[in-house]
Amino acid sequence: MINRRVRPMSKPTNLVLLIDDEPKIRRFVRAGFELHGGFTVQEAESAGEGLKAATFNAPDLIILDLALPDRRGSEVLELVRSWSNVPIIVLSVEANEEEKVRLLEAGADDYVVKPFGIAELIARSHAALRRYFKSPNENPVVVAGPLSIDLVGRTVLLNDNQIKLTRKQYRLLHVLATHVGLVVTHDQLLEEIWSGSVRKNIQYLRILVRDLRQIIEADPNHPRLIITESGVGYRLQSRFEDAPAN
Amino acid sequence: MASPFPVFQKFAKASTAFIGTGGYAALPSEELPLHRFLLANALSVTLSLLCVALATIGLLAIDRFLPANLTPIVYLIPVIIAATRWGTWPAIIAAITGAAAADFFFFPPYYSFRLDDPQAIVELLVFLLVALVGGDLASRVRHETETLRRREKEIQYLYEFSRRLAACFTVSDLISAIQDYLSGTLGRHTAFFLSASDRSFPLSPTAAIPERVKESAASMMRKIGPRASTVWDDPTRSLWLLREVASENTTHGVIAVNIGGDSRIVIDTRTRRVEAILAEASLTLQRLDIGGAMEEAALLLKDQLLRDAFHGNLSHELRSPLAAIRGSASVLESMASIRNEDRAHSLVEAITDEVERLDGFIGNLLNATRVSASDVRPHLECADPRDIVNASIRRRARQLAAHNVNIRFDDDLPMINVDSALVEEACGQLLENAAKYSPSGSTISVNTRAVQGHVILSISDQGVGITPDEQQQLGRRSFRSQRHQATIPGSGLGFWIASTFIKANEGSIEIVSGGKGQGTTSSIVLPEARIEDDQSAGSADE
Repeated sequence: MINRRVRPMSKPTNLVLLIDDEPKIRRFVRAGFELHGGFTVQEAESAGEGLKAATFNAPDLIILDLALPDRRGSEVLELVRSWSNVPIIVLSVEANEEEKVRLLEAGADDYVVKPFGIAELIARSHAALRRYFKSPNENPVVVAGPLSIDLVGRTVLLNDNQIKLTRKQYRLLHVLATHVGLVVTHDQLLEEIWSGSVRKNIQYLRILVRDLRQIIEADPNHPRLIITESGVGYRLQSRFEDAPAN
Repeated sequence: MASPFPVFQKFAKASTAFIGTGGYAALPSEELPLHRFLLANALSVTLSLLCVALATIGLLAIDRFLPANLTPIVYLIPVIIAATRWGTWPAIIAAITGAAAADFFFFPPYYSFRLDDPQAIVELLVFLLVALVGGDLASRVRHETETLRRREKEIQYLYEFSRRLAACFTVSDLISAIQDYLSGTLGRHTAFFLSASDRSFPLSPTAAIPERVKESAASMMRKIGPRASTVWDDPTRSLWLLREVASENTTHGVIAVNIGGDSRIVIDTRTRRVEAILAEASLTLQRLDIGGAMEEAALLLKDQLLRDAFHGNLSHELRSPLAAIRGSASVLESMASIRNEDRAHSLVEAITDEVERLDGFIGNLLNATRVSASDVRPHLECADPRDIVNASIRRRARQLAAHNVNIRFDDDLPMINVDSALVEEACGQLLENAAKYSPSGSTISVNTRAVQGHVILSISDQGVGITPDEQQQLGRRSFRSQRHQATIPGSGLGFWIASTFIKANEGSIEIVSGGKGQGTTSSIVLPEARIEDDQSAGSADE
């Protein structure tokens, strides 16, 4: 499911720590990851247990439910972030945009809103792992559909033809590509592209995205590469979803 | 002032009262105390003198059988009678006249006030002392009894009043209770000026309120004057007491009480009485205010609790099992054995579809609780209308699967300043309605265009259309047309949520239909975002 040209995970199997108090959720997530292959799942049913496992078992990825019986998931997130860079994907029933942004700013790599399909969670997990294990001296080319972005050579190929982008357009694509498959918040993008000078002016970002889509999307009216996460940010899609009914 | 005789204390008190009432500058000059005293006591003094006369006549009649030293004791009888019946002053007068009569008639030399015998002088002095002390004691008993009786009556009135206060549920209840109490205890006119308007309610209909009183009340209401004042009305020769009727934080009005034109002592007592009542009344007012506030808070809380329950636990409780079902189905779907078995695969898909439908329904209910709790606080942000339309179509892909969706965007669409999530949801609701009320296989066109400073997202279907009658009812919560209730499932919340969400974004929804069976076009009209001058910053390559 991941494009073959993206370098493989650095480990043959990744240890996933799943912190969720719902046994049925844990059961299907475990089944899903194991069926998919390449993952070992460790379960924790409370924040306390999860924190312990995160400390002693050095998981490669943490999947964290926000509604835990003993502690708020956001606290667990902050605690883990205080000493570890391990990728964390947050599960939540609330689809509140401000909450999502808060979680991302607190260090979550991505979020998945319940109810979700296992494919979505696995795709996010791969994206988070890829970002975590990426090292600059390895293959620096990110591929997303017809697009391949050479992060070192700063060149962008669209259907194997090099395309010309302005500096800001390239910056935008670059930031999204380093997080390929993951959501990047508006604030993060604004900061990276305009280095803080026009922060908070989301309008510039909207126009820049529109311009970039004109160049890289097959149909700019129905973008499939740069996906808008309304109220949160943008995501460079590493694989294509089905197009809407048409 | 520690006089052994309360009589003197009384005098002392009365005189200090006169000295200390400089505040009543408006009052006319008082009449002389002695004159007033004589007027008030003329009858009782006459009666006690009559008693002494009777005792003298009686004594004269039985003189020869009675030892002379018993006479003073007989003269004690009128003193005690006067003291118990008419009070201290008649008793003193009876004692003095009794002593004089005894001296005149029964102590030698007879028929003269002169006294030769030193023993007789002592006897008379002792009599006088005993009479005065006895008279005072008796009058005190009488006074106490009277006070007790009056207190009992007052307490009874107060009890009635407090019962009335306890039963008060509105300010007007309270005012009529005050009025009843004041007229019961003071027998006076009361008028109430309501703060909300200039209308005054003379609660006893016969009470004509003097202009000066009205003016003072009006100025008190406007918070110009002091919170309390007294007004002397010359034509009726009476004093009006004006007091604010207020609880801690609200002024309900001004009450004017006519406390008459009697002596200052009486006025003082009445003033204190009225003030005590008003203090009591203000407590009741506070209770009424608190009661009202509590009722309001309870209503709010109920709403809030319901909403919190739904937003917090309930939605979690409902969505957690759905998440497990949806997730498990997705795992099944990914298994090769299921994927290769068409029937199993379609069943798994059906599970997923139904879970999503339920989830959408819960989402709708959540939105409905937000709307009914007026908790829609849009977070406005510049957004690309194309993103919103695409997202809402993607979100409703399942509902739209049976239709041809024709999407068209104007070139050069301006940005809009909206809460994307809200507009997305509203647009999704309209899409869902379009799909629900039009036959499978028909086309739903979604056009987004810019028109004179506005962006219009319109969704047209080829469905059942809307009659003018139905159009009037649109937007009401839970409205569902009679025509479709049996055939098309729905809660009737969709359009209501959509229109609220769009309104929150300073937009509007327009529904146009050719009528029954003619299809419907719903348009979301949103103001275009004002573009700042520096807009080129986005595309320019510095």
